[in-house]
Amino acid sequence: MVRTRTTSRTRTAAVQVTALAAASALALSACGGGSTASAEAAPVATDRDIQLSLVWWGDDDRAGRYEEAVALFEEKYPNIDVQTQFQAWDDYWTARSTEAAGQTLPDVMQMDLAYIHQYASNNQLLDLSDQLGVNLDTDGYDDGLLASGAVNDGQYGIPTSTNTLGMIVHQDILDELGVDAPEEGLTWDEYDAWVREVSEAGADAEPRVYGGTDYTGTLWLFIQWLLQQGKAAFDDDGTPAFTEEDLVAWVERTQPLRDDGVFYPVSRTKQVEPLTGLQVNEAATEMTWDNMTAGYSANAGTENVDLLPVPTGAEGSSQFWKPSMLLSASSTTQEPDAAAALIDFLVNDPEVGEIFGTSKGVPAVAEQRDAMEVEEGSIDDKIVGYEDHVAERVTADTPLPGEGYGVVEVEFKRLGEELAYGNITAEEFAEQWFASAEANLGGA
Amino acid sequence: MRGATATSSPARGGRPRRNRADTKAGYAFLTPWLLGFGLLTAGPMLMSLYLAFTDYNLFRAPTFVGLDNFTALFSDPRFLKSAQVTAVYVVVGVPVKLAAALAVAVLLNARHRGQGTYRSMFYAPSLIGASVSVAIVWRAMFIDDGVADRIQQLLGFPAGGWVGDPDMTMPMMILLAVWQFGAPMVIFLAGLKQIPAELHEAAAVDGAGPLRRFVSVTIPMLSPVLFFNLLLETIGAFQVFSSAYIISGGTGGPADSTLFYTFYLYLKGFTEFRMGYASAMAWVLVIVVGVITAVLFRTSRAWVHYTGDVR
Amino acid sequence: MTTATVTSASLRARRRPRGRSIGFHVLALVVAVVILYPGVWMVVSSFKPSGDIVGNVNLWPETWTLENYTSALGGIGGVSFWTFVLNSLILAVGSVVGVVLSASVSAYAFARISFPGRGVFFAIMIGTMLLPFHVVIIPQYILFNSMGMVNTFLPLLAPKFLATEAFFVFLMVQFLRGLPRELDEAARIDGCGHWGIFRRVLLPLMRPAVITSSIFAFIWSWNDFLGPLLYLKRPDTYPLPIALRLYVDQTSVSDYGAQMAMAVLALVPVLLFFVVFQRYLVDGVATQGLKG
Repeated sequence: MVRTRTTSRTRTAAVQVTALAAASALALSACGGGSTASAEAAPVATDRDIQLSLVWWGDDDRAGRYEEAVALFEEKYPNIDVQTQFQAWDDYWTARSTEAAGQTLPDVMQMDLAYIHQYASNNQLLDLSDQLGVNLDTDGYDDGLLASGAVNDGQYGIPTSTNTLGMIVHQDILDELGVDAPEEGLTWDEYDAWVREVSEAGADAEPRVYGGTDYTGTLWLFIQWLLQQGKAAFDDDGTPAFTEEDLVAWVERTQPLRDDGVFYPVSRTKQVEPLTGLQVNEAATEMTWDNMTAGYSANAGTENVDLLPVPTGAEGSSQFWKPSMLLSASSTTQEPDAAAALIDFLVNDPEVGEIFGTSKGVPAVAEQRDAMEVEEGSIDDKIVGYEDHVAERVTADTPLPGEGYGVVEVEFKRLGEELAYGNITAEEFAEQWFASAEANLGGA
Repeated sequence: MRGATATSSPARGGRPRRNRADTKAGYAFLTPWLLGFGLLTAGPMLMSLYLAFTDYNLFRAPTFVGLDNFTALFSDPRFLKSAQVTAVYVVVGVPVKLAAALAVAVLLNARHRGQGTYRSMFYAPSLIGASVSVAIVWRAMFIDDGVADRIQQLLGFPAGGWVGDPDMTMPMMILLAVWQFGAPMVIFLAGLKQIPAELHEAAAVDGAGPLRRFVSVTIPMLSPVLFFNLLLETIGAFQVFSSAYIISGGTGGPADSTLFYTFYLYLKGFTEFRMGYASAMAWVLVIVVGVITAVLFRTSRAWVHYTGDVR
Repeated sequence: MTTATVTSASLRARRRPRGRSIGFHVLALVVAVVILYPGVWMVVSSFKPSGDIVGNVNLWPETWTLENYTSALGGIGGVSFWTFVLNSLILAVGSVVGVVLSASVSAYAFARISFPGRGVFFAIMIGTMLLPFHVVIIPQYILFNSMGMVNTFLPLLAPKFLATEAFFVFLMVQFLRGLPRELDEAARIDGCGHWGIFRRVLLPLMRPAVITSSIFAFIWSWNDFLGPLLYLKRPDTYPLPIALRLYVDQTSVSDYGAQMAMAVLALVPVLLFFVVFQRYLVDGVATQGLKG
């Protein structure tokens, strides 16, 4: 099915206007295999007992925060009991796949951009469009952001928070080495040169420090680089809009750094997994999503980290917002109204914003952002400040991954590792990744 | 195992009576096993044979693709890598493990005090070796600056943990396998004890030294046990999973150096949900193990001596 | 060396019995040290503060601490450590019951009843011991999934009650073969049918095999990883191996102390069983390789 890009503003308005009136018509037409006969969206019942299941991926810390948020929700709706569950990232998707096959997805779940297309196209998710304005309030949303949860004209996920790529800089290391942080607006080549400089300076340190980690295996960074050249990442059907040559060019440009051992060694990376070089205080920079900063800083044991924009290309930085995660509901839920109410609570309630802080990313809704108790100079403050600061650079539309993205992203990373060990060439990297892309992307 | 045909029961009262009551009882007692075999072994085997020729991802119904899975397999570099990794593990690991087991069994096969204690001590790792706990400990011992690293530095080898080095992860896995020699060792010990002392004495009288006796008396007398161990250890080695999973953190890395066959099968089937492909892999494994088993049985006639054979 | 035959071997023995004994002990001790080192290292490291573990060949802790155990016992994500233990226990005890029940009746059928097809089924059963079980995990998963049993203990316990593990059946068959048929005959004369013979006469006599099987079944279930990995998705249903993995995934990489503590805790029951029942285990394994 071809996903057309409608202008989100008109669509949102249209949905809100016609929501109530067209609710039943939408419900009937949205009945694609597996969904319960959905009644029209009604305000959530407060007189009978309702049970909801809520699932997320994350760790102990996030679990604690969710428990707090859920307690608040249950206070507001005493008749609703929320059963919670979580897994680590890898297991999460395996579990969801199994549930999807058995039509037993949880009522409310965290969703990722890499998977939403797959689940939505297979009718696994509830179309929340009819809940908008009834149990789900999206007034506080930037239309572009909200559109990232839309698939094939339905709203299947509500973004909880924003994210954009950034460069985390371990200022402590730089202070010790006496090297300055990279300048904003530097190009990729300038960044590579800077990394080289730092690695040379850190060669005698104990333990040895490096300028940065090999970023070649991160698919999102490759996409960022593509966008900067004015190229598109994906076609409408989710297949790559770029060529093998593009990929080879990306891989080859960092080859000299690998050959000279400038990047944080892959053998060390494997030892410290799931942490990274920066988090064990052995690498000075790392490019990743800005909301990872809190975790990185905690593991590194220092708050002296900064966030800089990622390197720019010839035509500017073309950064884009990506929802760090979304909340979705199962198409087979018995309680669509309550599920929507729970989602609404989690994304809009200011106290929930305070509970989570920036641990899931910068909250999408302004009220939650404002409610965060952000200490000046704290990591949360830096992340929020960073996103404000780069807002003008964020000019590109969010590249929306299609079905199967999750798998090819992992494959990209694995090939990056093989590359780092010197087992494959750039051409083989491109060849193998494209083989995987062909097998996995653009299904149905 | 060929002992299935030999019984040690003393004289029975005549030929076995096969009457209807016996048949009914036999099948009644065997009901659980028959159910289990049908539902959980035979049925699934047929189903996986069918799936091997389809493309199936659990979401949508299986679509028939003929031999595509098999052709894809043999042109998939990761599949070939997983086959290679497993082959090395089996070909190197099993003989080393058995050699260690035999050596220690010979050592223990003397009437000294404490033999029983040692025997139990050496057996203990076999019980826990495949556990997650041990895999975690093993990994922790082989990181940079870990126990193994320190020891090798003391011995004058270059520093470096094994976990991040694709060339050293296989030796690490093989060491883990060899560490568990206790189970085959116990079996060897039992076999050694069954060798009549007179044979050794007779050979010694003929002037055979310890080594000659070992080769000409011990090994042949031990050959059924050796065969049994070889068979079981080989088949077991093909199925190693949890150690590889934990030590590689669920990736099969670094650089696919611990991508054991069964682990790749799991990845394909349960994380990528390409169940047709994984089923094809499973059947290739069955065939390979079947061939190896058949070869082992066939060649066993040449070197396995059962007592009671006319020689 | 009971006879007076003068062989070179016995001469050597009589001349230097002490030497051989010492030689034996030295060698055996060397092997023991190497074998036990990882186990000792694991236990000892669990009492060290994490920073002292890496880079230290020294076994003995300079500082002893229990903080690793407190953090391991704290559980994960709101699920208490004892929940994991309970899950493991339920699975293990369930496995033992299932195995003992199903393997014993199957063994009785194979060893004591004569019926058409017995030989074929017996050969098939032995064959399943040689079969890589990975060929059945996918269809089994599909089967259990279609019955809605994923995320329950059922897929892990059902096979145990259906004698799918031929190892135990074989063990019991071998054992039964060592019991004289006269017992069966005597019971039959007393009026017992097969069930009576089995329950009243043979089963009580099979105690050693039952005990050995129980212990192995318990330990194998306790250590089982792939099964729970496939079928159990909710942290409050995790048995110890899966919980351990979750724990390791989440602890920061330098916190080896806590990982060691959790690893030790997960192994405690197995080691306990071993220490108490080692004779049964070792004897059980030993008879595996021998005929009848």
